[in-house]
Amino acid sequence: MALIETHEITKTYNLGDIALNALNNVSLNIEKGEFIAIMGPSGSGKSTFMNIIGCLDKPTGGRYLLEGVDVAHMNRDELASIRNKKIGFVFQGFNLLPRTSAIENVELPLLYDGLAAKERAERSAAALAKVGLAGRENHHPNQLSGGQQQRVAIARALVNNSPIILADEPTGNLDTKTSAEIMELFVRLNKESNITIIVVTHEKDIADFSRRLIFFRDGVVLSDESSGKI
Amino acid sequence: MINIPSTIRISFRALRVNKMRSALTMLGIIIGVGAVITMLAVGTGAKQKLGDQLASIGSNLIMIVPGSSAAGGVRMGAGTQSTLSISDADAIQKECPAVLYVAPVHSGSAQVVYGNQNWATSITGTTTNMLSVRDWPLTGGRPFSDEEVRSAAKVCLLGQIVVDNLFGGINPIGQIIRIKNVPFTVIGILDTKGQDPTGRDQDDTIYVPITTAQKKLFGTAFPGMVRIIMVKAKSTEDLAAAEKQINELLRQRHHIGQNEEEDFTVRNLTQFMQAAEQQARVMALLLGAIASVSLLVGGIGIMNIMLVSVTERTREIGIRMAIGAKTWDIRLQFIIEALILSMIGGVAGIIVGISGSEILSMLAGWSTVVSPFSILLAFGFSALVGIFFGFYPAYKASLLDPIDALRYE
Repeated sequence: MALIETHEITKTYNLGDIALNALNNVSLNIEKGEFIAIMGPSGSGKSTFMNIIGCLDKPTGGRYLLEGVDVAHMNRDELASIRNKKIGFVFQGFNLLPRTSAIENVELPLLYDGLAAKERAERSAAALAKVGLAGRENHHPNQLSGGQQQRVAIARALVNNSPIILADEPTGNLDTKTSAEIMELFVRLNKESNITIIVVTHEKDIADFSRRLIFFRDGVVLSDESSGKI
Repeated sequence: MINIPSTIRISFRALRVNKMRSALTMLGIIIGVGAVITMLAVGTGAKQKLGDQLASIGSNLIMIVPGSSAAGGVRMGAGTQSTLSISDADAIQKECPAVLYVAPVHSGSAQVVYGNQNWATSITGTTTNMLSVRDWPLTGGRPFSDEEVRSAAKVCLLGQIVVDNLFGGINPIGQIIRIKNVPFTVIGILDTKGQDPTGRDQDDTIYVPITTAQKKLFGTAFPGMVRIIMVKAKSTEDLAAAEKQINELLRQRHHIGQNEEEDFTVRNLTQFMQAAEQQARVMALLLGAIASVSLLVGGIGIMNIMLVSVTERTREIGIRMAIGAKTWDIRLQFIIEALILSMIGGVAGIIVGISGSEILSMLAGWSTVVSPFSILLAFGFSALVGIFFGFYPAYKASLLDPIDALRYE
């Protein structure tokens, strides 16, 4: 059983009279522990695919099995619970809560999971240490550099021990050096913790960190190849 | 799973970020709650004052006054006939089971002299029962005895105003005063009662035995004539029965036929109290209306700000949803925020209301009473306003699409 299985999923947006097919019968299997880069031009359907994989959106047709469970027909709260426990998100714009300390940002998923304050604090501090931000627990986002903010976001994605991290253009707002550091962090997490990492990017340099490259165009998978890296 | 303490902390932080806005939003609730507290305090104070005044006259009182007289088509007012007598009073005491005490009154006013001081006051001739009818204790001395009433003794009880005006610092008991030049021995002093609801000072009076008043001071149209008979019923429930019994007894004693008009009038103070209660009810209704309008306006203010807040924080809502916040996590966050706004406003309003009532009673001299009930009511209402007007913005926030919310700039 693959971690993620999609069977001919389609997504159609109704824009007035025109029906726009963002995804057309996409079937993919992703195994636990893979490091995947998804590329493609704007409007290729890669973001739609990520939203569906991330349980933020539902496909119009087809089946999506996450750890063998069909999530396509779950309601809002069930999907929220899946996102909370199975998926960590990392965004281009970091998406940390402003005026909220690093550790409190990291604690958020545990808060919605209903954990006690003591355990939340311990696990959040451990997650921050894992991304190299020990000692910066009480810094607010505006006191941190872009790279540090993205590390906080990665710690937030890690804290609930989710098997999957979905990163949507995680280096889009960072310089080359910091981008490389962030990607190396992903590589390390993938190796050490066997976390499945899926990165959407349109930079070849970033995609090169992955071991499998999926290319989208016009709502279909154009190519899907392993880079052969270990 | 909803984590209330953390949600409360998050809400406080969100409100602190916009301190000025939060304070202005609360203002509506502060004014509303303050108005509720102040107005309830004024209402309760007025009602209590009236109640005290009514109680100072005596409870369960019935007054019997003679009917009006007419001469050549000119009708005089109530009490102008001379139809009531001491024997009527005695008969009421003996024959009406619903009656507790009866005190006949023969009164007038006169100049009173002690040493080089003098004072004009009302002289009430009555029996010892009067003190029981009026629930009026003495602060010193003794009431007059039945023997003194029978023998028309020249003894008197003084009201506090008379004591102050005639005696200054001297103890009046045992002293001799002159009423219409007749010497009277002071045997007791009446406790302070204050004003009756019409504003007359009840302490400006002298009590003498009714027989003395009839024979030595004011004279009578016929032997034993009295001006008023005051009656205390056994209880409030017995008032109506007592009135009926007195009416029947006096009709019989005065030989009044089936269709003839009475030559006396029986009244009690319940009508007075009903009128006062009616007034208090109207006032409460009016205040309630004002209070609900201000709370409504305050609530709309909260809803308005919460809607702005939801829009401003769309992205934050998106982040929370992506991370796993469920519908009710989001709803509760905004409801609690509205609730905190309205409850802090409520507490501030209670403080404003209490100080407002203090200031009113200090400046305007109104008696105000802040009851714990009104505080509880105001607090409960402000909480209710928060929940009610916070719900729609919270509902709106919880329906946002996480993808759109995350993209919101």
